Amino acid sequence: MGGIVFESVSKMFRHRPALFNWIGNERSGASIALENVSLNAAPGRILVLLGPNGSGKTTTLKLISSILLPDSGRVLIGGADTKTDSVHARRQVGFAVANERSFFPRLSARENLDFFAALEDIPRAQRPKRIAEVLESVDLMDAADTLVMKFSSGMYQRLAIARALIKDPAILLFDEPTRSLDPASAMQFWELVRELPRQGKTVLLASHNFAEAANVGDSVAVLQHGKIVGRRDIRYDSAEQLRSFYFHVTGEVKVKEKEEFLLVAGA
Amino acid sequence: MSMGMLLDKAITVIRKDFLTGIRYRSAFLMTGVGIAAELAAFYYLSRAIGPSFRPQGMGYFPFLLVGTGFYTFLMMGINAFLSSVQEAQQSGTLEVLMTSRTSPSTLIFLNALSGFSRNAIRFTIYLIAGLFLLSRVSLGYANLAAGSVTFILSLLIAAALGIIAAAVQIGTHKGSAVMWLFGSVGWLMTGTMFPTSVLPKPLLWMAKLIPVTHCLDALRYSLLGGSSLSGVAREILILAGFSAVLLPAALWMFSYMLKRARLQGTLSFY
Repeated sequence: MGGIVFESVSKMFRHRPALFNWIGNERSGASIALENVSLNAAPGRILVLLGPNGSGKTTTLKLISSILLPDSGRVLIGGADTKTDSVHARRQVGFAVANERSFFPRLSARENLDFFAALEDIPRAQRPKRIAEVLESVDLMDAADTLVMKFSSGMYQRLAIARALIKDPAILLFDEPTRSLDPASAMQFWELVRELPRQGKTVLLASHNFAEAANVGDSVAVLQHGKIVGRRDIRYDSAEQLRSFYFHVTGEVKVKEKEEFLLVAGA
Repeated sequence: MSMGMLLDKAITVIRKDFLTGIRYRSAFLMTGVGIAAELAAFYYLSRAIGPSFRPQGMGYFPFLLVGTGFYTFLMMGINAFLSSVQEAQQSGTLEVLMTSRTSPSTLIFLNALSGFSRNAIRFTIYLIAGLFLLSRVSLGYANLAAGSVTFILSLLIAAALGIIAAAVQIGTHKGSAVMWLFGSVGWLMTGTMFPTSVLPKPLLWMAKLIPVTHCLDALRYSLLGGSSLSGVAREILILAGFSAVLLPAALWMFSYMLKRARLQGTLSFY
């Protein structure tokens, strides 16, 4: 059963300008994406990562999926270190990448999933049934044989979730999963996510959406400037309580109040 | 991973590329027209030069045909590795593929295998159309054993060079520079369109250090000259030596560049 452990993880991105940088003046130096982050997501729980843009949420997900490796510290996936045992770590993780271009446009949804299922070592004989199951779970069965280049953004989002589910991973990562979904589809997605821990799966979900976090999350970790600035059990929290907590720990409430003041003052 | 699973993956990748290919309906037709135009250009070039020019004791048109056909096949094969990484970086599939249970080196191998299969069909059509329809050359005395060994060793070398190009793409995001270097140096020094014996001595020595030169020589001797395995033993030994050195070096380089990109966060940069 896969749990996630971050032990004092830091990640920095270096900017290496090209030759003749005085012509274009590209940025040099480094950006700190994560700094000394320690985190624990227990098996069978849903952890929501909240934070503003650039706070390190996507970097955290990429470190878990071993697309990125930490500069220092350790990321353990079900006990497997992503740096020294990335094969075992990778096997346990499904990452719902919803980029429209991360699919093959001239293949149907079913053909796309068949391709990714083969790469996940799912035997040919089992693939049709498995594909039908995941398409059903994201309500894409009617579009199974449509070329994905004809899909809407919401359909891509659902197909990305289906792709992450197809390998039946112990850990599922979602990066702003309902960003392109209409309210009904978003609620259907939340139901699907709430079902996953009952199957023993660990879910990590990066979001800006307080309603989403309150609806599906068991706990929340708030990231700001690459550091965890707050954690909380949110099983019984409303979206409004979560919102207050978020603005309290990030200090963004001051900015918010200032904006509201300016609005009232008619500035 | 079992052989059965690997075969299943290979079939799936080839099917994916085949389905994508046939859904670009006009591409097939344009490929056919391209092959015909290329053959016609070489046919008239050889006629303009005249029948007295017989490089390596062969007619110039068959010499050109095997040289350009096989050279293009190898270059397209090398490019298949590079373009599989480039396309995956540009489309955003690379990061998704890197989280799958299939190892990155297997993935790139499978993608390139599909590219090689497509190019092998193109090369066969090119040879058959050129040799039988235009020049009526008989392959009755071709030595298929020597030709096959040459073909397999050439594939291994092209795979190694392709993996190096893919590694450079991941490391520097400019693998196309490697292809440009292979391509332009190759036309000049591998004996694709003229025998390397006309080159000045320093270039001739450099030509001998390029494996593709030996691939073309061995294939011409075995297919057009009827040389047996012992007749092309020298070339085959050289090709085996190149494969033994280049393949492990290329795999090591690919795995090093991949790890470096994952540390620097540049895997999907292009």
